[in-house]
Amino acid sequence: MVAGETRDPLTELRRGVVEHCVLAVMRQKESYAYEIVRALSNAGGLVTSEGTIYPLLSRLRRDGLVETTWRESESGPPRRYYRLTSEGQRALDAFVRDWTRFSDAVDAVFAA
Amino acid sequence: MDTDVLVRDYLGRLEAAAAVLPVNRRAELAAEVREHIDAALAEAGRSDEVTVRNILERLGSPEEIVAVEAGQERTPRGAAIAPAGGVAGTGSRWGAVEVSAVVLLGLAWPALLLPFGLFLWLGLGVVGLVLVWGSGVWTGRRKLITTGIVVAVYVLLILATYPVSVTCTTGDPPQPCPPGGPSPIVTNIP
Repeated sequence: MVAGETRDPLTELRRGVVEHCVLAVMRQKESYAYEIVRALSNAGGLVTSEGTIYPLLSRLRRDGLVETTWRESESGPPRRYYRLTSEGQRALDAFVRDWTRFSDAVDAVFAA
Repeated sequence: MDTDVLVRDYLGRLEAAAAVLPVNRRAELAAEVREHIDAALAEAGRSDEVTVRNILERLGSPEEIVAVEAGQERTPRGAAIAPAGGVAGTGSRWGAVEVSAVVLLGLAWPALLLPFGLFLWLGLGVVGLVLVWGSGVWTGRRKLITTGIVVAVYVLLILATYPVSVTCTTGDPPQPCPPGGPSPIVTNIP
């Protein structure tokens, strides 16, 4: 990386946050990939390129944070449904704690 | 304009960009993106050029998707809030909590040699374990294993010294057990 090169700070921040938002979406219910992408897009400002969620999902599978099941769909080919593993649940819980502490700290500095 | 051409062109670019990826993941990614486009078209209920272009634009460029896929092979997990660049990967390194936990659990052993060492030993162990569980770096599995080992050793040691500490109070006249670890107790065995 070139020194002094300008970077969008939100891009950097988003990178780590989005994967935990993906975990949070499937905590509610088992979901297929398009549903997850849709939920994040609807949240606004979280995902700039929807396609980049797919590499993320594959890594979460590989890391054992999510597990998947193929199910028939009423329309079209079978779909892969995602749900959290217990390790994924723990990772999410830990992140929620860290995130709360982090955002509280930022808010406190901004409010000062 | 034929919208199928737009989709085919997009998937063709994806395939070309994905040449750097492992073969099985390449096919899987292409299938996932194709399924996404189909689902988005089904949701929109139409497939005019504007709809298709919007769907593809929201997906991001194929090159960008592949770059994320290829890049994350090297990105360590846990670097969530750490900014990329200089300190990327900090998340997997030990912080104050981890170092303190190890130091406390390590200090617990020499503490046995001090007066009231048994209490110090238990206290340091408990605080050490609390810190282990507070760690954001170690995985749940590692925390469980560490706790299991520490608790097992403590229970074994306490069980091993228990009968000894009973015998030392039944002397004539009864002697209070000397405070501290097992060594002073052992000397009191009749």
